[in-house]
Amino acid sequence: MRESSDDRLGHVLYHETLPNGLNVFLLPKPGFQQTFATFTTHYGSVDSTFRLAGEPEFTTVPDGIAHFLEHKMFESEHGDVFRDFARHGASANAYTTFDITSYLFSSTQDVQENLEVLLDFVQDPYFTDENVAKEKGIIAQEIRMYEDNPDTRVFYGLLRALYAVHPVRVDIAGTVESIQRIDKETLYRCYRTFYHPSNMVFFAVGGFDPEAAMAVIRENQARKSFPEAPRIERQYPSEPPGVHQDRVEARLAVSQPRCLIGWKDPDPLPPGPGILERELLTGVVLDVLFGRSSDLFDDLIGEGLIDQQFSWEYERTPEYGYSLIGGNTPDPDRLAARVEAKLDEVRESGLPEEEFERCRRKSIGRFMAALDSPSYIARHFASYHFRGADLFQTVEILDRLTLEDANRRMREHFVSGQQSISVVLPKA
Amino acid sequence: MTTFHTVDEGRFHVHTMLTDQFRTRHLVAKLAVPLSRERVTETAMLPYLWLEGTRSHPTALAITRRADDLFGAMLRSGIGKRGNRHVAEVYLTVPDEGRLRGADGIFEEGLGLLLDVVTDPLLEGGGFSKGNVERERGLHRKRIESVFDDKIAWAMERALAESLHGLPEGLPRLGFADDLEAVTPEGLYAAHRALLQEGDVHVYAIGAFDDAPALANRVLTALREAFPDARQAAQPPGVAAPVAPVPARSGEPHRVVEDQPVQQGKLNLVYRTGVAYASDDYPALLVANGVLGGFPHAKLFRNVREKASLAYYASSRVDALSGLVMIQTGIDPANRDRAEAIILEQVEALRRGDVAEEEMAFTKRGLANQYRQSLDVPAALADIHFGGVLAGHTRTIDELLDAIEDVTRDQVVAAANRLQLDTVYFLRGQGGAEHA
Repeated sequence: MRESSDDRLGHVLYHETLPNGLNVFLLPKPGFQQTFATFTTHYGSVDSTFRLAGEPEFTTVPDGIAHFLEHKMFESEHGDVFRDFARHGASANAYTTFDITSYLFSSTQDVQENLEVLLDFVQDPYFTDENVAKEKGIIAQEIRMYEDNPDTRVFYGLLRALYAVHPVRVDIAGTVESIQRIDKETLYRCYRTFYHPSNMVFFAVGGFDPEAAMAVIRENQARKSFPEAPRIERQYPSEPPGVHQDRVEARLAVSQPRCLIGWKDPDPLPPGPGILERELLTGVVLDVLFGRSSDLFDDLIGEGLIDQQFSWEYERTPEYGYSLIGGNTPDPDRLAARVEAKLDEVRESGLPEEEFERCRRKSIGRFMAALDSPSYIARHFASYHFRGADLFQTVEILDRLTLEDANRRMREHFVSGQQSISVVLPKA
Repeated sequence: MTTFHTVDEGRFHVHTMLTDQFRTRHLVAKLAVPLSRERVTETAMLPYLWLEGTRSHPTALAITRRADDLFGAMLRSGIGKRGNRHVAEVYLTVPDEGRLRGADGIFEEGLGLLLDVVTDPLLEGGGFSKGNVERERGLHRKRIESVFDDKIAWAMERALAESLHGLPEGLPRLGFADDLEAVTPEGLYAAHRALLQEGDVHVYAIGAFDDAPALANRVLTALREAFPDARQAAQPPGVAAPVAPVPARSGEPHRVVEDQPVQQGKLNLVYRTGVAYASDDYPALLVANGVLGGFPHAKLFRNVREKASLAYYASSRVDALSGLVMIQTGIDPANRDRAEAIILEQVEALRRGDVAEEEMAFTKRGLANQYRQSLDVPAALADIHFGGVLAGHTRTIDELLDAIEDVTRDQVVAAANRLQLDTVYFLRGQGGAEHA
């Protein structure tokens, strides 16, 4: 077990790669009641066409299958996995994103037992025709719930506008129609491809003893046999650099319109620390331009064009990257025009140094505060891990960002051919 | 285990907790007044209006930038409803200055900013600044309207409004959009004065502090300065009656159906129990609710979701102060009758004592886990404690957990028999045809 201490963040991180290829990271936080553990596979909704090295053909699977698989893992041959966690006082959950699927528990007791339950259920698939059919009703309701949610709708609308063919344009849960095509054979195939320990990471944070936890994990994994680490080949369609559509619209039972304006990164970015740096740098730029302490945010609120829900976001993986801004607005087109005018102005003038410094320092402070949240750390650590980046380098990267970096990034990112708008309007 | 150290002085209550667990220091101010139809909208606007400008930082932008300059201090405000009390809240978290270079003194600065926000608003003539009021009038309208856009929240809000119609508890937390036109800078200032003069003022401070008594004194001094007329309070200090649970009532349950063009129906049931936080029966009600719908091992999740495959979410929760138990589900509208029958059957099963040892044990462990985890979340600790203050009976987390541990199956059954179905609310989606 390798220890790396970080004086500035005030913690020690433990790491070990097990013989089966599983990477285990443990971050003790003395004084915390809870232990928050995640077992994450590098498999998300975008991984819909793939093969294992040696297989003759690529397989394309139905939309929503990674998320469906996540649901189905909670059923085991001896029954419901939630019961196993409940027995040991843990609360369990899981989530699927575009590029990962993560299983988690948090508990304040029986940590060793809960670690075993987490490892065991994720490594014990049990799919039957009957239990697969049953899950379709549950997931259909999950999909319907999100169909009524304007924030989800406007978000997926934007991705469908930005991307022409890349599967990031597809809803993570799929559609009520696409999940009907999912069967147990395809689930097993996805499972065998992506749930090998060498494609996974285990991360725990909280008030536990790292030596004892590592011993449990080591022994648990040693008891199980796995095939050789397979080489996974993922195939993504070749996405044209420009946006697919510059505007999309949907109608919902809402009181006021929602609008997101997004910009698509045209370039691939290899896995590595550069991913995190790109996220942090773009984040500071977005915060300077559109954050709560920006002139524009204040002006737009004053004009009644936005409210306090207005926010920004940037997401970057090796395959794709996009930023977005938006929220509630009575007039999406006027909002877009105001944003465009602001961008024209700063492309000319550059970002104000004082604002850049304020946002950079704020970003450091907010990250330090977020370290108080085990769930925040756990969720972000695994996500960056598979992108080749280390969450705990956040402060050192923010420390060295310069105004020149920010201005360069601002000018290369906010390009009009890379921009789309997604709008949700009230149903008449 | 960690507990609050409280210093009371008239209407001022300062609760401190010293812990070096966190990298941030947390401050929360909570001001509670009785909910009333006359004042509900104005009071609801106040915590947001406070962030629109103070005397020393006259605009929202100036306040936000001031907080940002304190190493990204997080400053937020909101309005809450606890039983029949309306609670205005302001939170501030600042990084622990011991861990950041060049950050000395930011907690003191943060405390000053928080108190300014609450007590020293930008005034103009006899009221709040007209410009700030205009801005907030528009924003508050959107805040109220937004509840309609979140169908889960909407269904819950509507079910509660129906169940509590005519009671202060049933007033909407954010007030009424229809009141907004008539709101004036002077009226808002009167509501502000009333809140500061009549309300109990609670300040929570949680984090790595050297000296709790000195901190409490510092806060008290600041409160005395900021509330110069506290001694002429309209209501004598410290006698606000504890919040009591909503009483049970007789008669058939109210049934409400609402149509909207949505994909998913929402079936919500509201039960009155007459039991709330201060009651000896409260721990038993917590366990009963947990067995019914508080967890994935609970009856609702297992029977509505896992067995019948009817819903993605099917859960219940207890409101600690009103003593309501609220069930919520999202279903295909065509399955309404089946879903309701399964839900009612789960409540009946609980009432007749169909509760396995395993369900009892799992639920107690699950509750213990939830409450112990709150010890990792300063805002949650302050909320739980404040609920006890309002109910007139504070418990430490340990005391609550001991009481939960002692709950017997008979007590759970007795608590379940206090559940009186009051309202069945159904949001009927009519959008399904689009997918046919």
